[in-house]
Amino acid sequence: MKTTIELENISHEFTTDRECIRLFEDLSMTIRTGQTQAIVGPSGAGKSSLLSIAAGLEAPTGGTVRFFLDGTNVDARTLRANSGFIFQQFHLMPELDAIGNLALPLRLKGARDAFDQAADWLAKVGLSDRARHRPHQLSGGEQQRIAVARAFISNPSFIFADEPTGNLDARTSESIASLMFDCARETGCGLVIVTHSRRLAAQADTRLHLEAGKLEMAA
Amino acid sequence: MSKLRLTLENSLNDLKDSDGRISMATQAALLMFLITLTLTSASIQKFLATNLDQMLGADLVLETHEPLAPAQENALRGMASGVSRTRLSGITLTHKDAWARVQLKAVDSQYPLEGTLRIADTPASPERTASSGPEVGEIWLGARLATKLQARVGETIMLGGKALTVSAILLHEPDRLMEGHSVDLRAMVHHDSLSATLPTSGKDRTRHLIAGPTDAQAAIEAWATDALPAASIVKKHGGQHPLATFWQRTENFLGLASVILFFLGAVALDMTNRRWLAKMRYRLAIYSSIGTPLGTGIAMALGGWFLSFLLAALLATGLAALAHSAIIANLQTVFPGAEASWSVADVAQTIGLLLMLLMALQIPSMLQLSRASLLSLIRHTGEDSHVWQRLFWGLLSVSLLAAAYSDNWLLTGMTLAAIGVALVLMIALTWGAVRLGDIWGRRRTGLLPFAFFIMRQRLFAKSAQVMGLGLCGLLLLFTLMLMRDLSSMMEGYARTHDGNLMVTEAQENHVEALHDWASANQAKVLTLRPFVYAKLISVNGERLNDYMQKPSDSLASLQEPIRLHWTDQMPANNRLKGGTFWQPGTDNWQQISVEPEVMTDLNFSYGDTLTYQIGDNQYDFTLTSSHVFQSGGGSITFWFQVPASARAHIDAPSRFMGSMELPEAAWDKLASLWQQHPTLALAPLRELTERFDQTLGIVTQITSGYAGMILLLALFVLAASVSGFRADDRQKNGLLMSMGLKDKDCLWLNFHDWAVTALVAAAGAIGGAWAAGLMIYEAQFGMSYQPNLWWVAGTMVLMVTTVCLVGYLACRQSLKVSVRDLMNG
Repeated sequence: MKTTIELENISHEFTTDRECIRLFEDLSMTIRTGQTQAIVGPSGAGKSSLLSIAAGLEAPTGGTVRFFLDGTNVDARTLRANSGFIFQQFHLMPELDAIGNLALPLRLKGARDAFDQAADWLAKVGLSDRARHRPHQLSGGEQQRIAVARAFISNPSFIFADEPTGNLDARTSESIASLMFDCARETGCGLVIVTHSRRLAAQADTRLHLEAGKLEMAA
Repeated sequence: MSKLRLTLENSLNDLKDSDGRISMATQAALLMFLITLTLTSASIQKFLATNLDQMLGADLVLETHEPLAPAQENALRGMASGVSRTRLSGITLTHKDAWARVQLKAVDSQYPLEGTLRIADTPASPERTASSGPEVGEIWLGARLATKLQARVGETIMLGGKALTVSAILLHEPDRLMEGHSVDLRAMVHHDSLSATLPTSGKDRTRHLIAGPTDAQAAIEAWATDALPAASIVKKHGGQHPLATFWQRTENFLGLASVILFFLGAVALDMTNRRWLAKMRYRLAIYSSIGTPLGTGIAMALGGWFLSFLLAALLATGLAALAHSAIIANLQTVFPGAEASWSVADVAQTIGLLLMLLMALQIPSMLQLSRASLLSLIRHTGEDSHVWQRLFWGLLSVSLLAAAYSDNWLLTGMTLAAIGVALVLMIALTWGAVRLGDIWGRRRTGLLPFAFFIMRQRLFAKSAQVMGLGLCGLLLLFTLMLMRDLSSMMEGYARTHDGNLMVTEAQENHVEALHDWASANQAKVLTLRPFVYAKLISVNGERLNDYMQKPSDSLASLQEPIRLHWTDQMPANNRLKGGTFWQPGTDNWQQISVEPEVMTDLNFSYGDTLTYQIGDNQYDFTLTSSHVFQSGGGSITFWFQVPASARAHIDAPSRFMGSMELPEAAWDKLASLWQQHPTLALAPLRELTERFDQTLGIVTQITSGYAGMILLLALFVLAASVSGFRADDRQKNGLLMSMGLKDKDCLWLNFHDWAVTALVAAAGAIGGAWAAGLMIYEAQFGMSYQPNLWWVAGTMVLMVTTVCLVGYLACRQSLKVSVRDLMNG
């Protein structure tokens, strides 16, 4: 049964007070579970907008987007309930400690063993000794490890990552990238990463280059 | 279950920051005030209901201001199984050189129908019961009266030329309930003891205490409604206590005070809401990023808010219980025997009402939350401030609270209008000052132009801060100003009043005696203005109590006969407020002019027909104009005035009201005047000012407590204002310091910011207070508004200094941390 996101001939634009800016036109792609994809390109090319459209956060101004979960055509809300996100700014809940942040998705889904699972994931990302630390007591890399684990913990079909290593140094970026790709392969979810980093993009199964409204396979 | 637990954890976490704590403290303060008010009211209502059963002295009491005609008396006695007639008159009793104004009750041999009288030989000796009133030729004096007159059992008192022997000290009457909260001195005689020639006053009351089965009571009530439209009826079963409406009005007045407190609370909550909303939007966006639908997130945010409200309600209920016990203990002087009792339903209703109003305040936040999006975490989109929506919902919920509690629409409307004026003024001033400052500073260097530039960028947030502080200042300033001016008005009453002896009621035969006595004792009669007692019984053909159910001071006064004055000219101390005043000598005598506050309270319109019972007849008047009091030309003004030509058509004795100036030596001679004319009602100004002092004492006690609440909430507003904008200021300071500015420069910049905020807020507060003074002083308190400019300037300086100082301290606190911390906010 297919679990995919299909973008067919989509175009997107936005208007400011003075002009209408067209980001891309007639663009098609398919995102599948079990695959990792990286979207690279210069700033302002529309990478984050493409990610938002693929994640069902906003509708394109033209074209069609279809979401399938186990062969069933579903709407954007259902897709979002089966997706996870990783952000450049980590976005952990400041009032919760590390394990609290990690358990959050499971608790919201009503899991009784949320904290047990969170403890397992915390060990998996090597932060068991940081369980009771709040985000401001953690380094950027540690925060992002928690954020990655949080995205994967509820076993989503797709993970969308927006510049996940943009705030980190090269060495930490490397470890975060490994963690993301390992988790994606282990869980079999579809991972879409928007990044400027060629090293990060190189680890994905597919690399797409978005520039001047065109999306092309990158070498 | 885990969602509920998470909601609870979130709610407790939210209470750990200052916004959460200020918000909960504000809610708790408002709840405590309203629950205390409700519990006190419920206890008093319960006391009144129990009291009605035990202290009416009959199954039914029928009260009229004129004695019943023989046919009516016979009809009544035919329907009842037992009737006792009593008559109450206001007279002056003298004993040797002492005198006292007294409520004299003349009773028949059947009195009392139910219950027993309690009497004693001296005010301090053991009491005994009596099954009937005094015999003919005897008089019983109330304990306070006996002390005041220095009269003892066995002595003789002259009344209307007749000698009466003091045979007992009166301690308790079983129909005491009918006196309500009157503290008049009391005496009782047998009806046959009174001289037939003793003149009667228009304010005299005849009461028929009636016993009979339920069906007979219903028949009597129906008969009285039809045959005696000016009569009032109090029933033991299913009736209302005479004090119930008095208390209802007191509660409504306090309710209006709570409207002002609620407004302050709303301002504080609005300020903390800004940060709460940002936090919730962030939380919801993160929830969304881990697959939680927005609806669930909003429900959890609302749940968290509700849990914090419940916590505030629990805290407030506990505090209110303590305050309620203390207040009831104090009120026992007015309501002896009242006990602090719990009414769970009333408390729940109050909490429910406040919950609804606070939820109305939350509506703009909820609307904004419904637009929370995961996209904001990717794109860092800005947040709209929705100032107008917040203002609209804030005003709506305050208006709803006013509608639920206020009985005085004129006062409520004026208060809200003054707040509106202040808001418009502050919005205009903020926008004007900030925009002009920005334009002025564009080509200049220095911190002030930069401060204007920053303020211009944060104009909406700045407007909210200014409006909050300004409204808080307005309400604080107005309350303190009113307290100060009311106190000085009361204290200055003796100085501004014309004359030192008020003639509160003189009959036609007294006038000559008054003039004679005045010339014999070098006293002066300054004014004497005629009137007749008239009871308003219907409006446009509808019975007064059916026409208007909403309690008010005016309606309460109109349950009794009022003074109806006739005149051809607008009196010198009145001016025309609206409509057309009649021409001198007009033949159209059925016109009437009414005071505007009475018109508002009773919802009268020009052209309405007002029907009065005067003596035995009813008279219709058409409302053609309204008149308002203006200072100068004496202090006596009448609520209702008719053309002089009306007098010829009215069959009732004339009374007079006025003032006299007595030299010091004449005071001791007053007793001789009263011995000849005991029904002549004179009130020395000293006595009046004593009463004012007592009232002033109570007013001061209430207003001090109220001002304490206002100050507490004003403190919350200031704390919320500092706390709500602290993160912005920290970020701004961090940015500036990273660009090389020194601590001192940051402090100076912040000082400019706070100074502009405080100056605009203070100007708005003073403008609003000015508008409120102009509207409310004259209309509600008969005072002309003459603000003391030094006092106003002093208040403004104090307010600006306080705000700047608090802002300075907050800024210093935030500058203690490093640039990195400041940048992280």
